Amino acid sequence: MAAVVIRDLHWRYENAREPALRGCDLEVEEGAFLGIIGPNEAGKTTLVSCIKGLIPHSAHGVYQGSVRVFGGEVRQKTALQLAAEVGMVFADPEAQFTAMTVEEELLLGAENMGLPLPLIAERLAWVSELTGIADLLQKSPYDISGGQKQRVAIASVLAMQPRILILDEPTSMIDPLGKRQVFEILRRLRTETSLTLIVVEHNIEDLAPLADRLAVVAEGRVARVGTPREILEDTGFLGALGLAAPEVTELFARLRADGLHNGAVPLALDEAVAEGRALLAGARGAP
Amino acid sequence: MRRRKTLLGMVPLESPLYQFHPLTRMIGLVVLAVLPLFVLMPEANLVFLAALFVLFAYARVDISRLRIYLPLMVTVAFFMFAITVLAPDRRPDDIRLQVLGVTVYYQPLMRTFASYIRIMAMLFATIFYFSTNHERDMLVALRAARVPFAVSYVLGLSIRSAAMFLEDLTTVRQAEQARGLDDSGLSIKDKLKMYGLYLIPLFTMSLRRADEISNALFARGYTISGRTITGGPRPDYVLSQYRFRARDAVASGALIVLFVGVAALGWRYGAFQLADSPLNRWLAGALQP
Repeated sequence: MAAVVIRDLHWRYENAREPALRGCDLEVEEGAFLGIIGPNEAGKTTLVSCIKGLIPHSAHGVYQGSVRVFGGEVRQKTALQLAAEVGMVFADPEAQFTAMTVEEELLLGAENMGLPLPLIAERLAWVSELTGIADLLQKSPYDISGGQKQRVAIASVLAMQPRILILDEPTSMIDPLGKRQVFEILRRLRTETSLTLIVVEHNIEDLAPLADRLAVVAEGRVARVGTPREILEDTGFLGALGLAAPEVTELFARLRADGLHNGAVPLALDEAVAEGRALLAGARGAP
Repeated sequence: MRRRKTLLGMVPLESPLYQFHPLTRMIGLVVLAVLPLFVLMPEANLVFLAALFVLFAYARVDISRLRIYLPLMVTVAFFMFAITVLAPDRRPDDIRLQVLGVTVYYQPLMRTFASYIRIMAMLFATIFYFSTNHERDMLVALRAARVPFAVSYVLGLSIRSAAMFLEDLTTVRQAEQARGLDDSGLSIKDKLKMYGLYLIPLFTMSLRRADEISNALFARGYTISGRTITGGPRPDYVLSQYRFRARDAVASGALIVLFVGVAALGWRYGAFQLADSPLNRWLAGALQP
């Protein structure tokens, strides 16, 4: 079943000359992990805001086309219905905090949904463990590190157990350790839950091994959708958009273009090490 | 002494006061902070202040940290007494005194002294509350008092916004200093002009933050009506973690009786007024020419 179906979506912000989205089409299967990549100002955040319903519910502008979430038109759904179906984590973790303590931050969404108290307690324990923030519950969300803030932001959305989780550049404002922790949470969510994950991210090297498919957004359109391998192997296409495939992918793509490598192009460091070993072993064995 | 930072200061990590429900503590704030309004007799307010300091010690508040309020106490005293000396609310039979060549009047000075002690009593009662309750306690107290969730939530956001505004101001100042601005040599007029210019980025940042918070609340299904997706009442997990016990009922009852008693004595029967003050009577007698 399709979790999200977008058809010919156009959106222009009020007072903007150019539309941010110019006819987007996209489908996301339930339980899939979709990575969204693209250059700055391509329309990635606008696209996911349309799935979450922030557009058009909380923004003014001209909207055309259709965004359906689990069969229902987003425009027809209320904030509460959308909160139960689609969770969204923003790039700036601090911008999404509204409570005095981490614990209350995690509770807000679950309480808004009217869940019974024992279930809220259960979810509080689950998200605290999953995101590794159990020892932060009584702290103010402003007195913790950037990485911890983003984990709190993710946990606060997960506590609502939406069917779709959108993360909009979740690692763009945090340190390398924080990034690793966020990707570890994504890895666990992918393997331990049936959530539909939509992640907008510039860090393609970490995103590609987790994603089932990648969507490339450019100039307000979904320019291409495919498996990470299909997308990243076409380094020329990415380069034309100002995007860079992971360095190991670039390296092996060049070796293949030069006829020095005829195997699969690796997407991550581990794969590259294995391919490199095989390549070197072949070279040593050659006459 | 282990302490915990709050948006408004520091609270002790452990305190015997925490055995009381936040609502009891908030009733304590209302009673203790309002009580001095019915009392002008400086001795009574000084006893009240002494009792407050005993409470500070009992609650394990780091009393040495109260030093930060010294500039405030001095400033308030300076302005109150300066106004009394320069523009006294004088009556014909007031005792006239010469101090360092300046003519002052005893009765206006005594009234100012009594008012100052009263203000200090109210101020330290409020400081006591904020030194022993963090933001969560305040919100729990409001919700326990059946204040609508939206109101308590907006209050929480307001407290948070005040802290964020100061944070933004610091960011703007540091950015200007990083670009070579040294305000130490500026005149007061130029400093005022500079602070006026700060309002532009601060206003812009506030608008952006308001937009972000609005999006965050939408994303979490918040509705101002407090309606939930099930249509039932909004559960309150944090409130459910607290119990209003018998000791809370006793303490709240005692506080309310104290309040009503002092209010009745002061308001209805004119007790605790300046005329009842032994210190005032003794000084007036001693200074009478």
